[in-house]
Amino acid sequence: MLHIENLHVSIDGKSILTGIDLDVKAGEVHAIMGPNGSGKSTLAQVLAGREGYVVTAGSVRYLGHDLLALEPEQRARAGVFLAFQYPLEIPGVANVQLLRAALNNLRRARGENELDAMDFLDTVKSKLALLGMDDSFLYRAVNEGFSGGEKKRNEILQMAVLEPRLAILDETDSGLDIDALKTVAHGVNALKHPERAVILVTHYQRLLNYIVPDHVHVLAGGRIVRSGDARLALELEDKGYGWLAPDVQGNVQGDVQGDVPMEAPREGRL
Amino acid sequence: MNSFTMSQALVNTRSSLRLMPVRRAALEQFIAHGLPTSHEEDWKYTSLGHLEKTEWHTPEGAPIVSNVVLGTEEYPGEVMHFSNGHLNEASPQACYARSLAKQADSAPVVQHLDTLTRATALTQLNSALWQDGLFLHVSTKDTSADASAPLFAVYSAGEAGAMLHLRNLIVLEAGAEMLLVEHYRGTPDLAYWNNPVTEIVLGEGARLTHLKLTEDSAAATHTGLTVVQQARDSCYRALSVNLGGRLLRQDVEVNLMGDGAECRLDGLFIADARRHIDQHLHIEHAASHTTSRQAWRGIAAGRGRGIFDARVVVQPDAQHADAQQASANLLLSPHAEIDVKPQLEIYTNDVQCGHGAAVGQLDEAQIFYLRSRGISADVARALLLRGFADAALGLLKDTGLAEWLEPHLTAALPRLEQERAA
Repeated sequence: MLHIENLHVSIDGKSILTGIDLDVKAGEVHAIMGPNGSGKSTLAQVLAGREGYVVTAGSVRYLGHDLLALEPEQRARAGVFLAFQYPLEIPGVANVQLLRAALNNLRRARGENELDAMDFLDTVKSKLALLGMDDSFLYRAVNEGFSGGEKKRNEILQMAVLEPRLAILDETDSGLDIDALKTVAHGVNALKHPERAVILVTHYQRLLNYIVPDHVHVLAGGRIVRSGDARLALELEDKGYGWLAPDVQGNVQGDVQGDVPMEAPREGRL
Repeated sequence: MNSFTMSQALVNTRSSLRLMPVRRAALEQFIAHGLPTSHEEDWKYTSLGHLEKTEWHTPEGAPIVSNVVLGTEEYPGEVMHFSNGHLNEASPQACYARSLAKQADSAPVVQHLDTLTRATALTQLNSALWQDGLFLHVSTKDTSADASAPLFAVYSAGEAGAMLHLRNLIVLEAGAEMLLVEHYRGTPDLAYWNNPVTEIVLGEGARLTHLKLTEDSAAATHTGLTVVQQARDSCYRALSVNLGGRLLRQDVEVNLMGDGAECRLDGLFIADARRHIDQHLHIEHAASHTTSRQAWRGIAAGRGRGIFDARVVVQPDAQHADAQQASANLLLSPHAEIDVKPQLEIYTNDVQCGHGAAVGQLDEAQIFYLRSRGISADVARALLLRGFADAALGLLKDTGLAEWLEPHLTAALPRLEQERAA
């Protein structure tokens, strides 16, 4: 489904990814682990099409397409979904408005009819119930004033509604309390399907207690330094990232954090 | 424009004899001082030089502006329609809403007209040359079913070279409530000059909600003043939606004279193309426990220019005053400009005041977020713009007017996208 070959990426002339090779088949769950600054989030953003990243070498094939040649919205319509590490607040746009616009765009791209308001609401409400979320979520502005945990759950709600072929979760587990973590895991496990694949980008092992990966890759210094099965994550938990990437310090076993508001440092906000 | 044509306009004005000396004195004052120039601090950003170069006239009689030109519009309420400065005879009139010209010698008009305005050049010109306008006089006995529905005052301009000095007087007696909508519009691309003055007097505990939608033609000049005086515990809530005109200068002055009086001035402007929109707000807290809120949003695109200049003065007697100013602005083009000048002048200790102002651009990270959900870049921008604009319109929530305003807003917003693409 996804075939990444020798991917090199830089930002502002600084090399971040230095030769990634990764093969993800339909039905698989891959975990990409690594210390801070290893390039995990860059990989996730590049796959979703974020501007500002320069691919200096390598290729990414997705379902036979050259993924890097597609605009972000075309990737989404082709079934790629990124759950953001720092979901954006969109003031003045209701959650339900975004979900409906997004879903109907996808349906059009797949040659399906747009859902009318009633059918759409039925679909969304079944997903809300699946995730144990309240209907009032729908009528709030997208992520505005949401706690960190609510933002992450909202990402999972979007994923559940849009039913992507390839879901990439960028540190969706960070900043979550244990209940929210279980909700997120439940949402991901419900999406599992022989025709779909999931990439979990995470710093910590604990999410993998709830979503068992088929493959685990350790990213350090912009490259995959070790791949293995689910046992690799447990081994990392024991030994720390210093085991595989001697020049970095990092704790694999994250403390369980509270459900706290979280802000990414950004520019140009009103 | 010269003193002779202005004097001629006064000669042609049909007026109550009582007002003639007032009009003559006002015109003399205007002629002596002339239009404001950019040397005056309040006019630093806005030049009215082009008004000097035009031969303006005041339209006579009450020609019906063709609806073929302006299009028909359904207003969800009672309508007072002024065409080229005169009240259309066909307008239905609620008992509390009348022609100011016809009521010029009635007791409330004698008592209140021209008592609030400061003697600036533009208001003097209006005092000299006004031909008609809305006289709204509401007491609690009118606050029945029909006074709770909105009253629309619609001002249509359809004559090139016309100067329209509409004069409105709004008096709400103690405890009265009213929902008033002013809508300024004109034949597309026609050059005319609107210079309305609206005086508003709110008695004890009176509540006025006031929406002003300005959609003048792309060649029009609009210089308007709204001045409000508030008695104890009265409440003035206003929303200005400034979408039109080549040049729009809006002055709003609110005097919180009675203890516990509250005002809320919200606004949205869209300065696209070469539009110039200059808004000056002035709030005086002159009594204790008075509250003022300003929340204004602006969007500038193309070579558009926006100015938001808002001053709040808290006088020594205004203990426990509470004043908040907020202005958020979006620039959509490198050639657009928005100048924001919030000012607080506080002459007493026991107050709560704050202001915030920001000028920014559409956030690329937000656009990427929406695109990553399959929404095209153009739709993402439109959604963000709409969300930004909607945040200024909270006052509409309990008025039932959102639906009416909707097509006006959607007509104004896509212009931005066309410009960006150009």
